[in-house]
Amino acid sequence: MTSRGQSAVLAGRRINRRDFLKMSGAGLAGAALLGTSGCGGGGGSGSGNLVFSMGPDDPNKTWTTLIDKFNKENKGSFQVTYREMPADTGQYFDKLRTEFQAGGGNIDVIGGDTIWPIQFAAQGWVQDLSDKFPEPEQNKFLPAPIQASIYEDAIYGVPWYEDAGLLYSRSDLLEQAGYSAPPKTWDELKEMALKTSQDTGTPNGFVFQGRNYEGGVCNGLEYIRTHGGDVLSGVTSGEVVIDSPEAAAGLETYHSMITDGVAPQAVASYTETESVPVFGNGEAVFLREWPGTYGDIAGGNYKVKKDQVAVSQIPVTPGNESSSTLGGWTFMINAQTDMPDEAWEFVKFMSSFESFKFIATNGGYIAARKAILDDTEVQEAIPTVKLAKDVLLDYATSRPVTEFYGDMSLEMQDQFNNALTGDTPPQQACESLQNSLTSIMEQAE
Amino acid sequence: MTTASSEKKGRGWFKEEFGNPERRTAYYMVLPSLFIIVVVAFFPVLYGIVLSLTDSTVSAFGSFVGLENYTEMFQDPDFLVSLTNTVIFTVVSVALEFIIGLGIALAVNRAFRGRGLVRAAILVPWAFPTVISAVMWRLMFQPGIGIFQYLAETIGIISRPVLSDPTLLLIAAILIDVWKTTPFMALLLLAGLQVIPGEVYEAARVDGANVWQRFFRITLPLLKGAILVAVLFRTLDAYRVYDLFWAFGARELQSLSTFVYEGVRISQLQFGTGNAAAIFIFLTSFLIAMFFIRVLGMRTSAEEE
Amino acid sequence: MASATATKGAAGRGALTTVLFYIFLVVFVFVSVFPLLWVFKMSIVTKAELFASPPTIVPQNVTGAEWAQVLGDPTFQQALVNSTIISTVTTVICLFFGSIAAYAISRLRFRFKGTVMTLILAISFFPAVAIIAPLFIQFTQFGLINTYASVIITDTVFALPLTIWLLVAFFRELPVDLEDAAKVDGATTIQAFRKVIVPLAAPGVFTTAILTFIHAWNEFLFANTFLFDETTQPVTVVIPNFATVYTVDYGAQAAAAVVVTVPLVILVLIFQRRIVSGLTAGAVKG
Repeated sequence: MTSRGQSAVLAGRRINRRDFLKMSGAGLAGAALLGTSGCGGGGGSGSGNLVFSMGPDDPNKTWTTLIDKFNKENKGSFQVTYREMPADTGQYFDKLRTEFQAGGGNIDVIGGDTIWPIQFAAQGWVQDLSDKFPEPEQNKFLPAPIQASIYEDAIYGVPWYEDAGLLYSRSDLLEQAGYSAPPKTWDELKEMALKTSQDTGTPNGFVFQGRNYEGGVCNGLEYIRTHGGDVLSGVTSGEVVIDSPEAAAGLETYHSMITDGVAPQAVASYTETESVPVFGNGEAVFLREWPGTYGDIAGGNYKVKKDQVAVSQIPVTPGNESSSTLGGWTFMINAQTDMPDEAWEFVKFMSSFESFKFIATNGGYIAARKAILDDTEVQEAIPTVKLAKDVLLDYATSRPVTEFYGDMSLEMQDQFNNALTGDTPPQQACESLQNSLTSIMEQAE
Repeated sequence: MTTASSEKKGRGWFKEEFGNPERRTAYYMVLPSLFIIVVVAFFPVLYGIVLSLTDSTVSAFGSFVGLENYTEMFQDPDFLVSLTNTVIFTVVSVALEFIIGLGIALAVNRAFRGRGLVRAAILVPWAFPTVISAVMWRLMFQPGIGIFQYLAETIGIISRPVLSDPTLLLIAAILIDVWKTTPFMALLLLAGLQVIPGEVYEAARVDGANVWQRFFRITLPLLKGAILVAVLFRTLDAYRVYDLFWAFGARELQSLSTFVYEGVRISQLQFGTGNAAAIFIFLTSFLIAMFFIRVLGMRTSAEEE
Repeated sequence: MASATATKGAAGRGALTTVLFYIFLVVFVFVSVFPLLWVFKMSIVTKAELFASPPTIVPQNVTGAEWAQVLGDPTFQQALVNSTIISTVTTVICLFFGSIAAYAISRLRFRFKGTVMTLILAISFFPAVAIIAPLFIQFTQFGLINTYASVIITDTVFALPLTIWLLVAFFRELPVDLEDAAKVDGATTIQAFRKVIVPLAAPGVFTTAILTFIHAWNEFLFANTFLFDETTQPVTVVIPNFATVYTVDYGAQAAAAVVVTVPLVILVLIFQRRIVSGLTAGAVKG
């Protein structure tokens, strides 16, 4: 194009500076609008839509079924949307915290870990349910999760189902190797695992969740407590007592699972989602898991069938009582929800005796009402319920329920994993935990 | 105009700059970009510095505590681990990328068939989002199905899963970074090589210089500018590493940036040390850049004006 | 001349070096491309074969199930949409502001050019992680958390230096006379920019657009910090978390990784010449 041609073009369309800026401004505004249009799109509170958040559903689709039932019965007034959150409770917790910090989020009812109500209540993020959930009602539920939902004399959560660590065994393989019952002590477990896996050609003796996440803390605590040690001297308060010979011995046993060849090295990166299929596909003799796994197996989701599986308490060291870490889930209501009454309706439904009976018989969950655990139908359907009842009432201990448990958990996650892999000697892990946990507890005052 | 020569900004400079319509237009044109950069990047740093001197949390502004966060940070074993990891990672990966990249650039610096294929091979690792490549490599190291885990175990150099061992994770992360970035480094160095005229080498050859002499006396000095630019950018990139460590290590592998992220976004009590670490990264990055520019004599494009 | 004997020896040597050279090339290409091929293989084999030990080199039981699962997953689809929107808007904004700034820097004279260039350059050295906390607090106050706007703003800031750098290099290649001729004919600076420079710089702008888009597409830190649900999260955040949704479905994770990478790879392969010249132009002349 010659310069004469170009100037002809310029002359033909004289755009002065103001018009140019105007056009660009319009273009930018459009881009900005497009940019902000991504504000939390689908369905939030206040639009006839109640949002319920929870981790992934089980293979039997237990909760989805219940929610569908509720929605059918409630057609016309409001519907419940199930918003799936990460399976890793640590990630789920972070997400919730981010949403709360950013101004409330759009979740109305939260299905959360039993130790969250106190942490959230301390920040004012969940609703006080004391008037809707008085003491007589509370007494119908199991005591431990109720206690974990109370902060400064007010209750912030309604227990849903409880988890306690259990030992799953392949009873058919054990029989083949000449054993008639699951192990009662850790040493027995190691011996049985090694012999059985050798005799039957099973690749792994024992699998569990050893990664540096919340589940790893639950596993580690079981070893510490079955050796006579503990983290705190009380449940919700007290001195940090983890630096003890018993705790170190517990972590030593934890570590020996790998060094003695009982568990594969990969357990240090396992969560529930990696370890269960290993057992479920017949490649391990023992598995440490929550009660719900029995329901998964019974539902035919894995190669192994339920009559090949026996469930028992977590092993001990002689002279100590068994201990299962209390896991479990609780309903909470977002303090900023627009639909508090509807939220309570949903919580009442999900925590009713009928709903609880459903999740117990359908999914093998230990629903948190005392009446459920005594119900004969439930006990017949799920053998783990009877066992879990004993475990829950006698041997289940909660994780430390404090305001800053999140940070304490981060420390324990790292140190327990280090002890498991051998990166840190167990004694040293306990010492460093003593220091870090003490300084966290001090800040909670 | 004698005043203008004795003072840089004489009385007339303001009018000279902003009175002139062409110059004014230039400033208008540059202003939006500068505005965005200053507002979104530099002001937050100042705010970050303030935060690091207080005991604030995410939701509440705290009170002034002086350098307490910094002392806590230097005593935090996690911080020291992440600092060590980051320094080792930076030094080793940049060194490897430079040496291998230079080798590739030298080897490829001639016409040959299949140029397009090589170019493509260079760009493919570079085009991956770092996070996705971290996920892919994690899959390849996963116990049970990962080919590299399997190969390493079979050859016998490892006896434990890479994904649970911090040292092995660091080594693997370095290798992944080298895989991903060496081609890019080679590209930059190649561009620098191609600017060197062939006659210079001819003259040297006639004078009897051998390959090594040609390399050290001609190539390296003439390439110095490109080398410094490439190495500085890579060094600062590696120093800031976050995506790779976070997605590949899944919290088992700590860098300075993951330490900051954990402190300010995950934990509840580490907000102060997290912020202190963030400012630490900022200041040290600045120092590294200054070192390259002042001490090593790297020329920025501003000076080439 | 010594060249006669030199050439004879050189020819023999030349054949050997050529062979070595091509071997080296093959190894180089293989090493670069191998991971993508392997993960692709992981995404098309059955679960049983995936866990086979020793791992198979050539896929034996091919299945499309993983791909179907991933492509049909609404979270993944939404993530692709999110990535596209975020990257496109960022690119548009960067090109707009970047091109006028680059024009001013490369073609106009003004006193504080050095300062401006230094400031812009400084951003490429800037550790983004240093500002995630202050920005998080600020964005919370403005209600921008979990909106596209938050990542678009931050992505723009960190992509601008790249955009400006590349465009300055491209603009500098254009002959100076063009604008002068236009100005002789009475055009203002902005008119000269719009009608003269823009059309001729189009190829360079196009390359810059591709590189900026890739840069924004790959961004992870800010997306991970400011966006917390699937309505806004881009693929870089969603895919590493696939493991939790799909449990141990490594095949699906592999498929997702390939799905996200292949368009980028294709884009890069088609425009490789432009991209390479863009990157090197910036490097050599910048």
